[in-house]
Amino acid sequence: MIKPNFDEFLSQQVAKTQEQVQQPEPQRALWQGIEKAINEQPMSDSEPQNNPAGVWRQVSAIAAATCIGMCVMYFTLSTPEQNNMMQMSQYFEQQKQILLVQYGNQPALTNDWQVQLQELEEAEQAIKLALQNDPQNAALLQMLAQVYQQQLDLIERVHQPRWQEI
Amino acid sequence: MLVDAKLPFDELDDLVKRTQQGDQVAFAALYEQCHRRVYALCLRLLADQAHAEDACQEVFVQLWHKIAQFNGQSKFTTWLHSVTSNIAISYLRKYKNWLQKVVSFENSGMDEASIALCGDLNGLDKLVLRLPERARLVFVLHAVEGYRHEEIAAMLDMAVGSSKSQYHRAKKLLQEWYEND
Repeated sequence: MIKPNFDEFLSQQVAKTQEQVQQPEPQRALWQGIEKAINEQPMSDSEPQNNPAGVWRQVSAIAAATCIGMCVMYFTLSTPEQNNMMQMSQYFEQQKQILLVQYGNQPALTNDWQVQLQELEEAEQAIKLALQNDPQNAALLQMLAQVYQQQLDLIERVHQPRWQEI
Repeated sequence: MLVDAKLPFDELDDLVKRTQQGDQVAFAALYEQCHRRVYALCLRLLADQAHAEDACQEVFVQLWHKIAQFNGQSKFTTWLHSVTSNIAISYLRKYKNWLQKVVSFENSGMDEASIALCGDLNGLDKLVLRLPERARLVFVLHAVEGYRHEEIAAMLDMAVGSSKSQYHRAKKLLQEWYEND
């Protein structure tokens, strides 16, 4: 069969796409999550206070965000002698482990979150390597703090989906 | 332009009207009719299967809350595609990873192994998913969804000239891949 030229291919395929001739199917069942979300009552101001797990998560999220902010400030404003990548790493590693243990038994929203986490850990290692050559580089320390924050956010996000399927 | 879902227009119109009145059974039927097109558009724009599924859910949750705003002046599917495009673009901004934000480098598109896992894709979709992010967004919005470059520039917060050049970049890459395939 003769392969059509590109312009013919493009116009045929665009027409097919617009006509919805061949459509991929999501691999995850999505309807249950949608149904759950639309049937949820709008959250009242007092509701989180009645839910101890929700309160704990909010408190830990706020605490983590505050600590991260303070760390960024500390590492940005402190003198070079005070900069200590090891201290920051130890602190964030503890936070990460707390979250991983906390969500250990909960299903995650995506299957590839551990791959995403691994990518962030690789970025973390790359920044740490750069810091070995330039340990007082405030920009690198800030980037390291941001990578840690991304890791914590990722773990939180995939375990607290708003519309995860039941 | 866009063609309606597989149901005859009257039946789809009826489902929309019943959903506007709060009928969840009709909404479930509307989901059944339209979720593939919504997911397909999310996948084309986001080039990530898990994110496309999340965005598809978000579209239908927002659709339930906003369907009263559909006034019937355009086709329902045209309106649905517009809602989907906007939500997918917002989703892309929200979950852009830290490195992309800090260093502002461009997402390079899906690799062939990941595309193969996406299921039943047509020949164009298989190529579109390989495009770099900005070229892919512009190509899908202009060539498939029928937006003008001025509209795309506003949606993606870029200059009209950039939208046009990204479109040509996308076409050139697609042609190269198609001819070498």
